[in-house]
Amino acid sequence: MKPAILTDVTKCTGCEKCVEACVTVNNLGEYKPGREPHIQDLGDGLSARRWTAVVSKPGNHFVRKQCRHCLDPACVSACPVGAMQKTPEGPVVYDKAICMGCRYCMMACPFGIPRYDWDKAIPYVNKCTMCYTRLKAGKLPGCVEACPTKATIFGDRDELMAEAARRLKAEPSKYLPHIYGEHEVGGTSVLYISDIDLGFLNYKSTVSAEPPPERTWAVMQQVPTVAVGMTLLSGGLYWVIERRIRMARLKLEEARQRQAEQNKRAKGKEEKQ
Amino acid sequence: MNRRKIVKDVLWIFVTAGFVAGIVRFVRGLGATTNLNDATPWGFWIGFDVIAGVALAAGGFTLAATVYIFHLEKYRPVLRPAILTAFLGYIAVIVGLIADLGLPWNIWRPIINWQHHSALFEVAWCVMLYTSVLALEFLPALLEHPLFKSRVFQSIAHLLKLLTLPVVIVGITLSTLHQSSLGTLLLIMPYRVHELWYSPILPVLFFLSAVALGLMMVTLEGFFSAFVYRHQIKLELFSGLGKAAAVVLWILLFVRVGDLVLRGTLPGAIDGSWQSVLFLVEICISTLIPAILLSIPASRKSLQGLGTASVLTVFGTILHRLSASVIAVERPVGVSYFPSWVEFAISIGIISGIVLVFLFFTENLKIFGPETMHEEEKFSPYSKPRFDPLTKVWLGETFRDTVIRRSVALVVVVALAITFMPQRAWTADEVKPAPVMPVQGLNVLRIYGSDNTHFVDFDHKAEVERLEKLIPAEYPTEQDMCVSCHHMSNWELKEGTEPAAITATGSPSPGGPPSCRECHSDVYSPTSTFDHQFHVATVEPGGNQSCDKCHEGGHSASTAVQCVECHKNMGPNKDGQPFNYVAPSYEDAMHGLCIKCHEAEAERLNKPELASCATCHHQ
Repeated sequence: MKPAILTDVTKCTGCEKCVEACVTVNNLGEYKPGREPHIQDLGDGLSARRWTAVVSKPGNHFVRKQCRHCLDPACVSACPVGAMQKTPEGPVVYDKAICMGCRYCMMACPFGIPRYDWDKAIPYVNKCTMCYTRLKAGKLPGCVEACPTKATIFGDRDELMAEAARRLKAEPSKYLPHIYGEHEVGGTSVLYISDIDLGFLNYKSTVSAEPPPERTWAVMQQVPTVAVGMTLLSGGLYWVIERRIRMARLKLEEARQRQAEQNKRAKGKEEKQ
Repeated sequence: MNRRKIVKDVLWIFVTAGFVAGIVRFVRGLGATTNLNDATPWGFWIGFDVIAGVALAAGGFTLAATVYIFHLEKYRPVLRPAILTAFLGYIAVIVGLIADLGLPWNIWRPIINWQHHSALFEVAWCVMLYTSVLALEFLPALLEHPLFKSRVFQSIAHLLKLLTLPVVIVGITLSTLHQSSLGTLLLIMPYRVHELWYSPILPVLFFLSAVALGLMMVTLEGFFSAFVYRHQIKLELFSGLGKAAAVVLWILLFVRVGDLVLRGTLPGAIDGSWQSVLFLVEICISTLIPAILLSIPASRKSLQGLGTASVLTVFGTILHRLSASVIAVERPVGVSYFPSWVEFAISIGIISGIVLVFLFFTENLKIFGPETMHEEEKFSPYSKPRFDPLTKVWLGETFRDTVIRRSVALVVVVALAITFMPQRAWTADEVKPAPVMPVQGLNVLRIYGSDNTHFVDFDHKAEVERLEKLIPAEYPTEQDMCVSCHHMSNWELKEGTEPAAITATGSPSPGGPPSCRECHSDVYSPTSTFDHQFHVATVEPGGNQSCDKCHEGGHSASTAVQCVECHKNMGPNKDGQPFNYVAPSYEDAMHGLCIKCHEAEAERLNKPELASCATCHHQ
């Protein structure tokens, strides 16, 4: 089973029970409804103390934002020490013991999910883990368990895809004909169906189906080739130029010797004469 | 001599300021001292100190290749300064990185925690190895000092000399890898790096510009040392480097513009947006103008032409790296970034520090060849005369004088640093919750219970005036008017307080205003509105005789009849849902009263959060 979450935006009433549950089960501090105006907020409500948040859009649309748990996550590929890990089950988790705090994961994430403990002297990266430890204990993610309207549901990714497709088919007028997360950045474990465009969840409104890690890997693959090639090139150039100079010097020497001999001969001739 | 002293003092001041800023940064953390934010995890330190810094130190491998691989022996006089600058440059990169990393004590982690898919992992390894290579390349200069004349050191020096070529080749390979990998670093962010800078061939562009920059950086530092030490500038030498740089710059320009054309992003460069202006300025000063200046023989061989070209390339390339990684990065609307004072102070401090170390080495080791110096300034750096041999007069400033002068500078700088340090760097608890504002101004009550930046300012005086206008139409007496708000559920009035007393103290209760529920809890749920005493008194015939009118059997709430039995007009609503089962409660009233207006306002002001439940429900 590939754990996944499907959020049906049309069903969300914006009650933020999921946020409360998230704060509680992940021990993110005291829960206070509404935004936290004192902690850095990019306008979406996510912060180091809020791993999920409900974004309100005009017309009573509520969109829950959380880590998408990409199938090929950019943060995992970016992390130079492997502190961001894609678990064999699927959720993307963070190991704060080996993190060095370079924040490359935050730059790499196409959805801008990881948030930093800016207010702390010993800061870590914070993001949704799909309640990985709870999943392992056979429990539901906190947010899914708390949702009173079943707007956000948990299950196998393939089954949730089928469920999403079923809902789109059953009420085509209610939804945009798109399952968000089906193909974006190579597919995500957190899927959305919606009646409004969810482009605002990404840094740019459209994302291609190509996983960002592939762009890096295309170049990184070439590293051994470049290394060997550059070494051989430098060594080869050195050898060629060195040899040319040596040959030139040798020729010069020979020419000089010849000249000297000629001179000698000429001198000898002169003396003879 | 004097010029050298002034330059060093200025650098010393910057180092001190940077040191103070560094202490504050580590004590208070990144959030309190920098302007970095969740949309700008990489700021000035990464963009300038690291990404541009590595490129600025590219002179080491370009000059090593020039002299050792291409056998261009005439450039040997500038090789050692270039190696030293590169070595110190990489040290600066590492120090800058330590300032930027959230958990700098884990900086060694890439050594054991391998993650070969990450471009940063490769950069980390290459920087580590190349810094070691540069140390090996620089070590011979150090070992020439009489201090290391023992046989052990000299045998090491001999070994290093034998190893020169392999070390140089390894250095070139490592440099090629990580100079280009700094471009690879940005490849994973196609949705963040602006399209004018993002390109699949970023690694190639970064490598090419690093080569050109390396050559121009060597030129610039030659000019700088000549300025500080009043050396002669070997123009012929540097114009040779300039000629090579011109070729690389033209290739770079061609590849960069060609890439834009092929990807169809060229129109974006002239659409008038601030990014397009930045792009045009950047490409002109980093590549186009220096390429032109260096291609014209007359300007290439002139002090002004060469100087301008090198300054432009250096600043232009810094701007290129900063634009790609920090300035032109996609951010959510309303989020911006400009480096804080601390960020500038630490970066400038690091640069000043390495310049001071550079000057120290050039004064005490044979870094510059004697041929670059004026006749009268020629000296052997190992045996500087301390006293004039004839008059026995002290020639230089005493160490004590220097310490005193710089201590004064230090005190001034520390004072300035403390004065200009951002306020939030000093406050003990930066993220303490904002207090619920009870009163703003005179009698204005700020209703801010939900603590979520959406508040309502209630002006009592204005409200009274508004209500007074309605007299007598709605409120025949003044008491009716007050009671319209201050009715029985307001506990302050129940205690017998006069409304006037409330306005006089400015606050209706000592601990701030009670939340709505605090007053209205008595009518919160539908059954709360049921007043038993009232019913006992009013239900016919009254008193104990009326019990059985409602209760069948025992006298408890469970035996009572439904309200709707008597109050027919308060029955289930028309959809038959048991929501408004009985009398409208406070909940119903509030929902009925507030939601309509909240929704209307949310739509009118385009603030959807006004209509969300959590705006009011916070407890």
